[in-house]
Amino acid sequence: MSSIGPTEVRHVAALSALEVPEADLPQLVAQLQRIVAMVEQLNEVPSAGDVPPFVAGPAAAALRDDRIAPEPLAHPLGQTAPGFAEGFFAVPRHTAMEES
Amino acid sequence: MTWETVIGLEVHVQLGTRTKMFCAQANAFGHDPNSLVDPYTLGLPGALPVPNEEAVRLGTRAALALGCTVHPVSIFARKHYFYPDLPKGYQISQFERPLATGGTVWIESPERGRIAIGVTRLHLEEDAGKSLHDRLDGRTAVDLNRAGVPLAEIVSEPDLRSPAEARAYLTVLRQLLVYAGASDCSMEKGTLRVDANISIRRPGAPTFGTKTEVKNLNSFANVERALEVERARQVALLEAGGTVAQVTLLFNAATGQVKELRSKEESHDYRYFPDPDLPPLVLDPAWIEEQRAALPEMPEARRERFATAYGLPAYHAGTLCLERPVADYFEAVVEAGAEPKAAADWVLETVLSGWNETGDFAVAPERLAHLIALVKDGTVSRQAAKQVYAGLGGTTEAPRAVAERLGLVQVSDTGALAAWVDEVLAAHPKEVERFRGGEAKLMGFFVGQVMKRSKGQADPKAVQPVLQAKLGG
Amino acid sequence: MIPRDVARETGRRLAEADAKGLNATLHWSQALLDREAERLETLQANLPLYGLPVAVKDNIVTAEQPTTCASRILEGYVSPYTATAVARLRDAGAMVACKANLDEFAMGSSTENSAFGRVQHPLDPARVPGGSSGGSAALVAAGVVPAALGSETGGSVRQPAAFCGIVGVKPTYGRVSRYGLVAFGSSLDCISVFGRTVADAAKVLGVMSGHDPLDATSARRPALPLTPTHRSDLAGLRIGLPREYFPADLDAGIRAGLDRTIAVVKALGAEVVEVSLPHTKYAVPTYYIIAPAEAASNLARYDGVRYGLRRMSHADDVQGMYRQTRGEGFGPEVRRRILVGTYVLSAGYYDAYYGKAQQVRALLARDFDRAFAGGVDLLLTPTTPTPAFKAGDKVSDPVAMYYSDIFVCGISLAGLPALSLPVGRSEGLPVGAQLIAPAFEEDRMLSVAQVLERTLDGAAEVR
Ligand SMILES: [Mg+2]
Ligand SMILES: [Zn+2]
Repeated sequence: MSSIGPTEVRHVAALSALEVPEADLPQLVAQLQRIVAMVEQLNEVPSAGDVPPFVAGPAAAALRDDRIAPEPLAHPLGQTAPGFAEGFFAVPRHTAMEES
Repeated sequence: MTWETVIGLEVHVQLGTRTKMFCAQANAFGHDPNSLVDPYTLGLPGALPVPNEEAVRLGTRAALALGCTVHPVSIFARKHYFYPDLPKGYQISQFERPLATGGTVWIESPERGRIAIGVTRLHLEEDAGKSLHDRLDGRTAVDLNRAGVPLAEIVSEPDLRSPAEARAYLTVLRQLLVYAGASDCSMEKGTLRVDANISIRRPGAPTFGTKTEVKNLNSFANVERALEVERARQVALLEAGGTVAQVTLLFNAATGQVKELRSKEESHDYRYFPDPDLPPLVLDPAWIEEQRAALPEMPEARRERFATAYGLPAYHAGTLCLERPVADYFEAVVEAGAEPKAAADWVLETVLSGWNETGDFAVAPERLAHLIALVKDGTVSRQAAKQVYAGLGGTTEAPRAVAERLGLVQVSDTGALAAWVDEVLAAHPKEVERFRGGEAKLMGFFVGQVMKRSKGQADPKAVQPVLQAKLGG
Repeated sequence: MIPRDVARETGRRLAEADAKGLNATLHWSQALLDREAERLETLQANLPLYGLPVAVKDNIVTAEQPTTCASRILEGYVSPYTATAVARLRDAGAMVACKANLDEFAMGSSTENSAFGRVQHPLDPARVPGGSSGGSAALVAAGVVPAALGSETGGSVRQPAAFCGIVGVKPTYGRVSRYGLVAFGSSLDCISVFGRTVADAAKVLGVMSGHDPLDATSARRPALPLTPTHRSDLAGLRIGLPREYFPADLDAGIRAGLDRTIAVVKALGAEVVEVSLPHTKYAVPTYYIIAPAEAASNLARYDGVRYGLRRMSHADDVQGMYRQTRGEGFGPEVRRRILVGTYVLSAGYYDAYYGKAQQVRALLARDFDRAFAGGVDLLLTPTTPTPAFKAGDKVSDPVAMYYSDIFVCGISLAGLPALSLPVGRSEGLPVGAQLIAPAFEEDRMLSVAQVLERTLDGAAEVR
């Protein structure tokens, strides 16, 4: 159906915001090829148009009343944040979106 | 050769709920940064979304007000992208099966007259937080108070043919959404935001040109301006033999320029899939009908009723109905006993400017009705009433008491008037002489002097007979 | 025993297990145990779980100690809130004994994927305890705690229960709140329970169960009874044996254990019939599309912005920070699943992979529906194709590792309740039998398991 090679792996790594060292790429490509080949066994299954889609859990979402009752936080945000200043989460600049 | 402009708008409005879309934290504006957060808003490990019933109701009302079909089953889906103010790395939105589709908004086009603009879809989603790039030195500051606020995204068909039409569409859209009570739709507060897609083509061309997306539009006027600028840019490009690239542009209101946003190609693969944390949103068709029945009278119908039932000129009726709170205020004044024409004059001449400035009404409608009654029965003059009105703001004093406190109650008591008249006549013997000599037009002068001496309290209608008698006219 | 003594004794056993190199715990301290005991002293002694020490898999959040998911990316992270299931256990008198080791983010079948070292099998240190809830399973099997919480996405409690020779119960999807269970595959994830006995497991499950308004997928059903309905035999029951779960190459020891179990089931008066679940061979491929897709999405939140690890030594913008943090913070199996999950959802591939897997998932669920609709009360199968394997055996071959879940993950895809019961040992290694029930029929399954538990010596050699 499709082949997953270094180009595809680099592309999905970028989409996933995952740094993949070039040295790791060949082994990773080989493993992902195995996995993708395994899942492609599903192509053997004839298309099942008449079967309603499976929904895990309730068939309909239960809705919440519009009442302010936030779940409490046991400790302050600054305690777990890797960058925190003046009440804000502090992160490096985003090079593509500075203007917005 | 001319160019045809094709515009479609994506409008996000924050729904006026008490709490956020998927958690019980407050939906509010102007609090300390990161004070309106909770496990869900922060995207903490293990936190889960639970949809807000009121957001669903307001989204449904908005959709019905736009003439959309509201679907009994819609599906929440995740839209993935990495951005610091998007806490989970995805936004919960709706994709393949939105809440509503297929609406129509009628607008008055400056070029084409009354036309229908298609509404492709309305779906529910959650807002992102805010990234502030000028708050911390060299770093971006992230505030998640806004993250998770309920939004309705309203996508129009590419039916708009000019920047002016885009503006007209937005004006009507806002009016409808405010009428439906879905949102306050304020661009200043950011509760209404607009992204515009624009392309140009030769008239009659079978396909659309390549479109660009213009963002960062902070007023309806700027939407129109930005689209004009971008249209001109595209025309220049094509006429120079170039092509339009599919890019996202930011409008800078200060310079009036659009600037291309740097962005990576893969950022457009959002990898939507149904959110496994949320079962389908299932609405009972009977409940949808209830929501339809509960919608208020929409602006067009209301305008017509104001004109016929209250005998108002069409233009006045239209202005009163532009914004639902103003129309509601007017009707409350009438209901409190004011004569409709007087109430309309008051709202249009006096109340509206205050509302436009502050977004609020300084004087309760019952109190304005009371003031109008004081004018009608001659207790205060028309002019003095404006001062009384100004004095009513910020107090709970009765209008009559305010008029008295300000010394603006009209005096029509003959005895009191006679004393002022005597003083005036004594002070102006020459004018008395001339009047008696036949200069009848001096009557106006004497009335004015009496008004002045009485500091405006004298009832001018009552002054004249007293003057006549004293001058032996 | 009074709570203070339980706390002391539990601490002693935890220290002993750590000293033996089991590596089953990630966080515990005597001070926290003593504090739990103090808290219990303020509660009613007749609470259902009063004084019961429970190990909690470290992907279930607790505000008192770290929750790391055995990942570098959450090293040292302390959740500012506690999971509903844990809160219910504590309210019922249980004490959190420790946070248990697991495969990173519950991705694995051997607990070799923990960033903090593999867990040893309590009976053979060279073997794995199964996974991903291997730490919880090992602690119960080693007699450190009588019960433990695990989580299942595709068999991560039943499989290690079988490997370790204890009881492992996965409830119906939605029976126990997921609020506070760190999400892996949201449409599959279930907090599940290990016990040395069916009764212990049932009691813990009963306390945790019941609707939670904080989880939109939680079932609007009353809680399960704390004690399964009593049965003296299996008369009147029909037990189905799905033929696809008894392949010709099934491990001989496993087959012997199941043969023995089937004989007991018949002797106790149940009718045993063969049934078919024709899509069984597609369970693993379906699972390895759906679970990674959901995982890739669920793990997008680990970005170094609000909590957890931040790495940016070679980054000069926030995008670089994301890539380095995530690249260095996630281990190899988690990275593989994120990449596969992103791939199957990406533009142009969604229909072929994710869309197709959703269809096959519906077919898998329909197989079970048809079997139960055909008059079968429960299904009986082996839990695993082999007993516990050696550490390192499958590390280099992810697909081989995935197939160790072949008998458990289809049930997860169908959202059904199932349990693994120890039914004997093969060359000293435990063999587990699996009972599968229709949705929300946990009580039927638990009451039958209790009869079997009474009748079978789960520790007896079967070959
Ligand atoms: Mg597993
Ligand atoms: Zn949107």
